[in-house]
Amino acid sequence: MKTEIATTPAFEIHDLTVAFERKPVLWNIDLTVPQGKLVGIIGPNGAGKSTLIKSIMGLLPLSSGYVKLFDEPIDAVRDRISYVPQRESVDWDFPASVLDVVLMGRYGKLGLFKRPRKADRDVALDCLRKVGMEQFVNRQISQLSGGQQQRTFLARALAQQADTYFLDEPFAGVDAATESAIIDILRSMTAAGKTVVVVHHDLQSVADYFDWVILLNTRLIACGPTEEAFTSAKLQEAYGGKLTLLADVADLFRRENFPNRESGTTKQQL
Amino acid sequence: MSSLIDFLSLQDPNIRYVVLGVILLTATSALVGCFSFLNKKALIGDAISHAVLPGICLAFILSGSRNPFFLVIGAFATGWLSTYVVDVITHRSRIKEDTAIGLVLSVFFGIGIFMLTVIQKSGNASQSGLDHFLFGQAASMVGQDLMVFSTVAIILVVMVILLFKEFTLIAFDRNFAQAIGLPVHLIQTILTSLIVLAVVIGIQAVGVVLMAAILITPAAAARFWTHNIRTMIVLASIFGAVSGVSGAYISYVAPAMPTGPWIVIVISVIAFVSFFLAPRRGVISRMLRQRTFRRTINEENILKAFYQLGEESREFRTKRLPEEILTRRSMDTVSLHKILKRLKRQGYLINSGNSWELTEEGLAKAQRVVRVHRLWELYLTTKLNIAPDHVHDDADTIEHFLTPDLEAELERVLNYPKVDPHKSEIPYDRT
Repeated sequence: MKTEIATTPAFEIHDLTVAFERKPVLWNIDLTVPQGKLVGIIGPNGAGKSTLIKSIMGLLPLSSGYVKLFDEPIDAVRDRISYVPQRESVDWDFPASVLDVVLMGRYGKLGLFKRPRKADRDVALDCLRKVGMEQFVNRQISQLSGGQQQRTFLARALAQQADTYFLDEPFAGVDAATESAIIDILRSMTAAGKTVVVVHHDLQSVADYFDWVILLNTRLIACGPTEEAFTSAKLQEAYGGKLTLLADVADLFRRENFPNRESGTTKQQL
Repeated sequence: MSSLIDFLSLQDPNIRYVVLGVILLTATSALVGCFSFLNKKALIGDAISHAVLPGICLAFILSGSRNPFFLVIGAFATGWLSTYVVDVITHRSRIKEDTAIGLVLSVFFGIGIFMLTVIQKSGNASQSGLDHFLFGQAASMVGQDLMVFSTVAIILVVMVILLFKEFTLIAFDRNFAQAIGLPVHLIQTILTSLIVLAVVIGIQAVGVVLMAAILITPAAAARFWTHNIRTMIVLASIFGAVSGVSGAYISYVAPAMPTGPWIVIVISVIAFVSFFLAPRRGVISRMLRQRTFRRTINEENILKAFYQLGEESREFRTKRLPEEILTRRSMDTVSLHKILKRLKRQGYLINSGNSWELTEEGLAKAQRVVRVHRLWELYLTTKLNIAPDHVHDDADTIEHFLTPDLEAELERVLNYPKVDPHKSEIPYDRT
């Protein structure tokens, strides 16, 4: 049993193409990531990093390809997968407290109609302690700083008690102390066998933070252990000159409203 | 006055039913409206409410009666259709949502008015009262109407209670809701249906033209008073109910008058009062806070002047005349006197006649202001490489609101420096 778990990849992506208004933002992505790694998704602005994890989570219609997590489609394993959206994707002026938000991490386990139980509160409070937010339990979320918002989101993810975590830019808008606190938590999660995938911007810290790197710029540049995938040649390929022809063809799709696959329009996933 | 007492005593069973019915309708409309408001879909309620009119007319034409059951079905059908059309237009064309809502609202309402006119000209006797749906007529709700509408209202309340957690999550973070596997589409369809139903039952009291007000205004007003979503929806329901009762009352004293405008005026007054008076978020509270800030700044500046004079003469706690203070801070003597008196009341100054002296607490406070000022100047020059002659104004603001823990952090980062960029000594507590 144990060996089987270890050999099943955390997730694999096969021939994935995703388009916005027909313009491909991810193009023929093929990759496999093993379990228990701290994975960085790296690439320039507009490379499709957030799109990649949204596609893995099944939040976007795919033009082609499929995604499997623990060798299953996402809908079969949602209770084992946690997703942290970008901080700016929600309205922090919403009438809720920090505890309310963290309790949302329990909703998947609770199911429809049921209210959070005392045990869920205990888990939520414990997760808040882990991210160092215990003194802000009843704070209104509109009064949080950027770093506190990220910690709240991380606590909500922890409350899901998942096996794989996808975090969209958890270091955006946080101070250095919070960043190192968050990375410590992520490391302890992978040490416990969890897989943690992080969309990351700062090239400086990549080698230090991650033991696996997905290098992306619309197409996949590299996917592998950091020392193999995060090389200056590969970086040059990702960040250096754009592939003008590729970008032009992508624009053509959008202008002509042309389907990305001959049968692509019927294959959209909800 | 006696009419009000008669009304409030609820002696007349007719009044009792109308009042209870209207409270139920307006409170549930307000309750459901909260989620429309939190989803930032305030305008869709307006489209739905205008779009139920053709449905009501159609139901009347087809059934030939004012049976509330058929009217609810007709209203629900076209109300739903309008939200669907708005959705299709926004997703399938380049037309944005606000334009789509405007289009749908006017087209549906136009058709509704057209049908209503045709019905009224047809001479069908049972049509009388159908025009009450335009501006609402609470008192016209009797017997069967009351039963049907109240049942729908109760269903709405139950549904909101059951799906409260899901509605809240989707309103706050739709992506996350989808990621944990909630059937987001289904739940949003249910919410839309609840909003349509809330409109359908609410129009009896408020009318289609002004229905959006009872959906959105109570929620917007309640939001001023609380940061807690549960409190918010309870408050919104109460606000809705209060305005509903006022509508029932006007129905009682002036049966010919439509109740909708009356209800809307009352709920608007509640919203205005909230806008001005609510703690923290209200306008007056904000103005008061600004005034407190200004006063604090003035007071601390005077204390700082005392301290600076003290630095010059090496004598901090000595009596000073207002004229001496004025050499440090230019202001008129009347304002200075007011500030001095306030500081005395707060225990930071004592006086004998016209000469004033720092108390021990006053000295400590003055010292802290000066310390923060100089620390901040030093921080800007050393960490941000800002020229020393550009840092003073910034520090003049920071000194009044830096929190103690940030101050401690500042001291730590700068490693407890002795002097600021202008070689003035940074004073620490002499403990």
